[in-house]
Amino acid sequence: MLQLKIAARFLRSSRAQTALIIAGIAVGIAVQIFVGSLITSLQANLVDQTVGGSTQVTITALEDGDPVSYTSDIREALEAEERIAPDAIAPVRTLSALFDNPDGDSASLNLKAGNLVEIDPITNLTARTVEGVASLEDGEIMVGTDFAEKYGLTPGDDLDLIFAGNRTVNLQVSGIFDLGSAAVNERQAFIAPELARDLLGWADNEFSAIETRLDDPFDSAAVTESLRGELDGVTVVDWQEQNADLLTALQSQASSSYMIQAFVLIAVALGIASTLAISAVQKTRQIGILKAMGMGDRAAGRIFLFQAAILGVGGSLAGLVLGWLLIWSFSFVPVSFSITIQPGFAALSAGIGIVVALVSSIIPTRSTSRLDPIEVIQGG
Amino acid sequence: MADLLIAQGLDKVYGSGDTATLALKGVSFEFAAGEFASIIGQSGSGKSTLLNLLGLLDSPSAGVVTYQGRDAGSLSKEQRASLRNGLIGFVFQFHYLLPEFSVFENITMPSLIAGTRVDADLRRRVDETLGLLGLDGLAQKNANALSGGQKQRVAIARAIINRPALILADEPTGNLDTTNTDAVYDLFRSINEETGTAFLIVTHDRNVAQRTDRVLEVLDGQLVQDVRNSYESSSESSLESFESSSESSLESSSFESSLESS
Repeated sequence: MLQLKIAARFLRSSRAQTALIIAGIAVGIAVQIFVGSLITSLQANLVDQTVGGSTQVTITALEDGDPVSYTSDIREALEAEERIAPDAIAPVRTLSALFDNPDGDSASLNLKAGNLVEIDPITNLTARTVEGVASLEDGEIMVGTDFAEKYGLTPGDDLDLIFAGNRTVNLQVSGIFDLGSAAVNERQAFIAPELARDLLGWADNEFSAIETRLDDPFDSAAVTESLRGELDGVTVVDWQEQNADLLTALQSQASSSYMIQAFVLIAVALGIASTLAISAVQKTRQIGILKAMGMGDRAAGRIFLFQAAILGVGGSLAGLVLGWLLIWSFSFVPVSFSITIQPGFAALSAGIGIVVALVSSIIPTRSTSRLDPIEVIQGG
Repeated sequence: MADLLIAQGLDKVYGSGDTATLALKGVSFEFAAGEFASIIGQSGSGKSTLLNLLGLLDSPSAGVVTYQGRDAGSLSKEQRASLRNGLIGFVFQFHYLLPEFSVFENITMPSLIAGTRVDADLRRRVDETLGLLGLDGLAQKNANALSGGQKQRVAIARAIINRPALILADEPTGNLDTTNTDAVYDLFRSINEETGTAFLIVTHDRNVAQRTDRVLEVLDGQLVQDVRNSYESSSESSLESFESSSESSLESSSFESSLESS
């Protein structure tokens, strides 16, 4: 392709200019990839911290405090819902208790009671057990790291809990977990389902809530809506409704990142457009000569389209490498989350870089098409 | 001989209204294939304007340019570009080489624009043309690395490589000294005789014009004279003399050095 060869030769003849604009595009695309990946990772991390280890769509009774009957209707509806992660359906009972601290102040605890095999796919309790073993047999309790530390508890220790009606129950610590939040680690504890059933005076199939976790937390609105249509006499709770503030914050963060990315792209586009415009002026004479020799208007215009394509592809590839380096170097920065490069997003950024370059070539391509060879020949 | 080119009532007006300048007025003539002619006139007489119209680089304000029976005015810009590429070779006062390309690439550019692949035949033609013009061994040099005389010869090579029916030359020796000027005209003549390529050379030098077969004189935008010379080409075919000069180191070097010094 002659035009491609001419385009490459034109770019090579002004190496410094070409190198600068490729560097400019590369920095733009790298920032694009870095900011995009940073925001995506940060949001994924925040969402994971907020709902990763907890229920996302929850079924409760219509009235607060009443038990919900785990009927076969509910079971079938939940099991038929494909967006729920495998086995991530857990009927649980929740209640509060007062820890009777023999050495000082008492502390209140939120207890969640369920079968470990059912709770695990949602809370990941076994994997998060840092001391002792994950076990919720009758008479056992699992407490958080902060609680254990505060009261000097280790696995195998006994503790007394006082329940409503001044009923005291002695339980043995089987394991100590770390769910990633100090508040949860201090206030939350897990016990066996039977104990909670007896304490609450409920039937075998009565629970405080049926908890579920989804493959994609952001499917919760759709899943909630579908379950609400199928199930009567229960309340279906969506985590997104419960965390509207957080989601608004995430959305604002995403919007501001889109703004940054859009402006970066505009800067890249202006850079390429101005470089190509300058190149078109610098090469007016050559274009005039080529046209005098019989090169058509469209063919001559394509030279700058190819220049843009070379700059776009070169700059975007360099941007991918630079972006990857930026993300890699970020792994040495001590923050609570890591940035993972999003291959799809990186490819999209590079693609956008190339498209922006091609669009930027419109003006020089047009002016080149319009150039009359006589303007050059007469001008000497 | 069949008409290659017919100019009929060519007018060229620059500007409009009060500032309008009539650069050419009612120029008509016929030009046969294989002719070797010159257009003479003072500076500003309109001869370059005429050449640009004939070369389809510019459009007349009135009148028609017909190439091999085709009215150039009825062609689209792309068709005119294609006609320029296939039918016409240009040699200008300034060489107009592409500084980003080698001598070989500059010479083959019209062929590449025409969509011809660089094959053995084209390479052979380039080699022959380079030899003919005393440019042996320079094919891979960058066009910018040549002397002025060499550049002009590369421009001539580029004009003839596609074997056009017509070469339009606008003061092709304007930047060369007398010896080089003679060498270039001898070369044009030999190409004309060897290949039958027609030449229309714009010059302000009557001595040069006298060496062509036909002289068209332009004065104040009008064609005032169209005469045929009884010019005979120098003792033998100049092409042969060029070819033989490559064997005679003395002649060859004097031709080279005379062009180099320009």
